[in-house]
Amino acid sequence: MPRIVREASLAWEGSLSRGSGTATAGTGAFALPVDLPARVGDPGDKTSPEELLAAAHATCYGTSLAGEIARAGGTVEHLDVRCVITMDEVGDKGHLIVASDIDAKARATGIAQAGVDEAARVADESCPFSALICASASVSVRAELAS
Amino acid sequence: MAAERRATVTWNGDLMSGSGTIDEVGSGAFGPLDVSWPARTEEASGGMTSPEELIAAAHATCFSMALSHGLAQAGTPPERLQTAARVAFVPGSGITKVALTVQGSVPGIDEEGFRAAADAAKANCPVSQALAGVPEITIDASLE
Repeated sequence: MPRIVREASLAWEGSLSRGSGTATAGTGAFALPVDLPARVGDPGDKTSPEELLAAAHATCYGTSLAGEIARAGGTVEHLDVRCVITMDEVGDKGHLIVASDIDAKARATGIAQAGVDEAARVADESCPFSALICASASVSVRAELAS
Repeated sequence: MAAERRATVTWNGDLMSGSGTIDEVGSGAFGPLDVSWPARTEEASGGMTSPEELIAAAHATCFSMALSHGLAQAGTPPERLQTAARVAFVPGSGITKVALTVQGSVPGIDEEGFRAAADAAKANCPVSQALAGVPEITIDASLE
């Protein structure tokens, strides 16, 4: 398979506590202001590395779940995937990303809740982002069949 | 105190012919953003973002904050850092490489000191630690 490279850049000015930056997508899909207070305190209307990772994990897991439900014989009509990433201060290690929790609702035909449970588990194994982050953070996944 | 950040994504249809949307994020800073499997795995993205691009943005941001902090603690705060992160994805194998490059405008430091600070930020920033399973993470640091 081809090797696909995606790029983003960050221009930062000044110190950590008072400085600020702009994160820009190589595709042009976004250009977003970032700063430290928004990352560790009230985010206001600014994004953060953790929020970008939450968006990455929700997207990555959602595509894996769509694939696994189809592999189990189901037909996906609609998936809603929510991801919450938690960063915490861990002893003398400083700030670490400690958890990523995924909650999905699937509207699909030809598959029962037990099949969705199994697809959710397999999707966690096949999702490239889950595979990376599970080494250092707890990853939970839950998928519910919606009527 | 723990900081929680969230995002929600909708996906319609199957993997290959369906498509999705990053509907919203907790801060409201972005979304909706369209995503699809072809846009993720073909050279031409059609202007659509992808998990890999979001990871690149997260890593470039986290690394830059850590480097800014390290430089200030050493008594040489930066005026400006320009960081790029390139994330390589091989479908079936996963995320195989992250290449960070940073150019800094930092009064009072030499190239060697800047490279050492960049190495430390690469090793210690929270996103680097979360991505420790990536087979290869590289850093190329230089002064402007």
